[in-house]
Amino acid sequence: MTKEQAILQAIVLTLAQAFVLLTVSPAIVGLVRKVKARFQCRRGASVFQPYADLAKLFRKQPVVSTTTSWIFTATPYILFASTLTAGLLVPAFASQMPLNFAGNIIALVYLFALGTFFLILAGLDAGSPFGGMGSSREAIVASLTEPAMIMSIFAIALTTGSTNLSTIVHKTALLEGIVTDPSPHLMALAALFIVALAETGRVPVDNPATHLELTMIHEAMLLEYSGRYLALLEWASGMKLLVFLSLIANVFAPWGIATTLTPMALSIGLAVYLVKVASLAVVIGTMECMFAKLRLFRVTDLLGVAFILALLGLLFFYILRG
Amino acid sequence: MVSWLTPHIGTQLVDLGSALLLLTCFAIIAQRRLSACVDLFALQSLFLAMTAALVAFLTGTPHIYYAAALTVLVKVIVIPRVLKRVIERLNVTRELVMNINVPASLLICGALVMIAFFITQPIIPFGHLLTRDSLAIALAIVLIGFFTMIARQKAVTQMIAFLVMENGLFLGATAATYGMPLIVELGVFFDVLVAALIAGIYTNRLQDAFDSVDTNRLSELKE
Amino acid sequence: MIVNYMTIAVSLLLLPPLVAGGLSLLITSSRRLHLTNLTSIGTLIAAEAAITRTVLAQGSVTAFGEIVYIDALSSVILFIIGTVGLACSLYMRSYMDEQVAQGVIEANRLNLFFFLFHMFILAMVVATIANSLGVQWVAIEATTLATTFLIAFWRRRESLEAGWKYLILCSVGISLALFGVVLMYYSSLRVLGDVSSALNITQLQQVADQLDPHILKLAFVFLFVGYGTKVGLVPMHSWLPDAYTEAPAPVAAMLAGVLETVAVYAILRSRGIVDQAVSPEFTGGLLALFGLLSFALAAFFILLQHNYKRLFAYSSIEHMGLAMIGFGVGGPIGNFGGLFHLVNHAFAKSLAFFAAGNIHRRFKTVEIDQVHGLITVLPWSALALIVAGLALAALPPFALFASEMQIITALGTSGAPGEWFQSGPRIPVVILLFCSLVAFAGFLARITGMVWGEAPKDIPQGEQWTVGHIPIILLGAVLVGFCWALPTPFRQLLDTASAMLVNR
Repeated sequence: MTKEQAILQAIVLTLAQAFVLLTVSPAIVGLVRKVKARFQCRRGASVFQPYADLAKLFRKQPVVSTTTSWIFTATPYILFASTLTAGLLVPAFASQMPLNFAGNIIALVYLFALGTFFLILAGLDAGSPFGGMGSSREAIVASLTEPAMIMSIFAIALTTGSTNLSTIVHKTALLEGIVTDPSPHLMALAALFIVALAETGRVPVDNPATHLELTMIHEAMLLEYSGRYLALLEWASGMKLLVFLSLIANVFAPWGIATTLTPMALSIGLAVYLVKVASLAVVIGTMECMFAKLRLFRVTDLLGVAFILALLGLLFFYILRG
Repeated sequence: MVSWLTPHIGTQLVDLGSALLLLTCFAIIAQRRLSACVDLFALQSLFLAMTAALVAFLTGTPHIYYAAALTVLVKVIVIPRVLKRVIERLNVTRELVMNINVPASLLICGALVMIAFFITQPIIPFGHLLTRDSLAIALAIVLIGFFTMIARQKAVTQMIAFLVMENGLFLGATAATYGMPLIVELGVFFDVLVAALIAGIYTNRLQDAFDSVDTNRLSELKE
Repeated sequence: MIVNYMTIAVSLLLLPPLVAGGLSLLITSSRRLHLTNLTSIGTLIAAEAAITRTVLAQGSVTAFGEIVYIDALSSVILFIIGTVGLACSLYMRSYMDEQVAQGVIEANRLNLFFFLFHMFILAMVVATIANSLGVQWVAIEATTLATTFLIAFWRRRESLEAGWKYLILCSVGISLALFGVVLMYYSSLRVLGDVSSALNITQLQQVADQLDPHILKLAFVFLFVGYGTKVGLVPMHSWLPDAYTEAPAPVAAMLAGVLETVAVYAILRSRGIVDQAVSPEFTGGLLALFGLLSFALAAFFILLQHNYKRLFAYSSIEHMGLAMIGFGVGGPIGNFGGLFHLVNHAFAKSLAFFAAGNIHRRFKTVEIDQVHGLITVLPWSALALIVAGLALAALPPFALFASEMQIITALGTSGAPGEWFQSGPRIPVVILLFCSLVAFAGFLARITGMVWGEAPKDIPQGEQWTVGHIPIILLGAVLVGFCWALPTPFRQLLDTASAMLVNR
């Protein structure tokens, strides 16, 4: 393969993954809502309703408060861009993606942190008390999830010997001498799942469907937004959910992913990927109906549990190996 | 033995079972609701029975099956029912105040796991290949049960902590020695059952006498 | 199974408490309850005497295949169980009736009391004669379960609190001992193979030097901490003062005299096996260290006491600590002193609690400050209290003085086991003597305060002679007698037992 062909293939694959992320994420959000509705014995809105919502929002004119600064208008773009980039770092339907070289776990965590940081500032920017409250709560949750997330992925990284997500997924998919012990993986999976719930603002940490401002965490920061800004922010949060689901699916159970770049493997990889994230979305929807939202200072307990589980995963790796 | 169930995979499955047991320990100590603690204990005993049955299957030691069956009968069915009835009668459901709060307890339990591994390091190489690491996890569960007893106030939770210690001991016995002689196992089960029943009666009497089962109130006897 | 003389004798150790326990649930008249009790204990003693004779002649006895193992050490413990049990049964004859008459206990609860009492004795006998360490563990846990309701028998708030603490702390401690048993089994399986008799003391004794020292060290630590909780060694002793204060007097006597001794026996058995693979200094040092700690701490707590039952409880901790020091130091004098001390302490403590029970019944209070003029109110009990108090303070001419002297001599000559005590023998001996002086002072002050002085006006005076006073007189006589001379078979028994402890 010549250099030009390689570069062309790289660009095509990256654009393909970006396209998949952008188009599938509203459907995932819709799927979660549909599952919840079914459990609540309602018919619920269609799975594709979020697309219509996004289209509607893009057509409307945004209203921006005069007391805000450049952060307010820049944040939707920053959050959208950082989440999309983070999504490109996580293998979705192919394990050897072009942005391989940058696909480090730490880069992932800090891309998310970048988006969260700006969102927190934007919540404060409009000067409304609800925004400030949401920002401070989000700061608590974010500061507690970060160590748990890093620890749990490190527990997996130790088994494969690299912090590069592509390498981890690729090696696990090819079963290259890693499946020694499921125990560290089990602990890390439990920890990462709790972290995913916390970072994407799902029950039991935060209720995404609430209308009561005093119970909001993520939504409170978005209260002042409207029009295309709100559309970008909603899309970004949908993508964040999708990225976390891809992370969980592909790091712990990557079999089916395309390890070679043939069209056949890629299509199978895409199909398997969609099935996996859809089932994880159903699981999340079910869990949202099983548990009640925790009070804020109980959230710290839950995230403490996640951290300890991740720590145990690391410990088990060192000790159960002998 | 089934062909895919190589010793290597067998070891991993036993480790998995032990890890699940440890997971439920942490869940118990992070819980605030008493009935959830009892359910988690029942779940833990179920995992224990499954792990024991797995060890029995892999090593061909039939008398562990009896012990596993007894575990299911006594610790998954009978004792949780007794404890649930006690909780209903006492009308206490929440652990309102803890001696040590949840995140600190969890960190201490993590440290206890490390201590348990450290203590059993010198003797682990001697064990049977299949269940070596489970001995360390068993000691960890015993230490965590011990700690839970200190860190929690309600009499029912202390009883559950004691039962968790017994679970850890059973795992240790199964892991290290493929189960104790049957008569000893029977004796231990009998003791545990009677202890749970006695504790149930006690909590009733404590409730009648003190109007609460908060063991912090049991402070009338001093030096 | 050969039905011979030994089998019958061993069955007569186990059946009477079992049958008596069952009968106690059915009998209604209190006279018959006591009669059943006395018959069962009497049979127990007779069986014991027969077995002891055989043990002295043969060395050791096994029965029922290899399920039961009795040697000189077990015989000493059985002797203690039998005699103290008899003394308590005689004492209970008058004590329980008076409790029922005063309305403290309802008459129909006597059945439960006797049932638990018999189960308690059965469990202790099983713990002493069982060959398998696992069965021994089950029996000791069973003693905890049997006695917990005996302690809380008065159903007062404090009794419930004491009973709950006892149940939880002892069960937790004994669970740690179970881990030790598991580790023992683990180490013995590697040598003996997968046999169901791998936990038997007889088997373990034969292969003890082949067992792995690391595992045995860890196992012994767990066993010691676990059974040490039952013995009442510091720092696992916190259940003890409350439990002894709240238990009815005969129960407290049995707990203090007999149950602690059985727990010590369990430790000694494990120690015998561990010592053949690990250097005896390790276990000896552990025993001596905790013994010294218990002795010192208890002596100081005795100074602070204002409750006479609690005073005796701390005295138990103190004396058990002393016995532990004796065993820890080892050698012929140390072991003999330790065993002799266990026997004497059992007698003295039962005497003390009998006196305490009588005082409590009359004065209705456990506070030392409120009891005066005992010599006029309850002359016999006052005498008992003086004898018990001076004996427990280890004064001559009482037997505890002799055993304490033996232990101190052993400590002084061989010194404390080197691994744990870096200093010479002088410092522990000095500490020991100082603390016994402290304890002596505490005892003397309190007992003189109680015995002499002016009696409170509203307490009826005079003590009637009842069956319950017989054991008081007998125990007092024995305590004095043992200081001067031991009956030959008994001395032979103690010698054989301590020789076994030394040779291991």
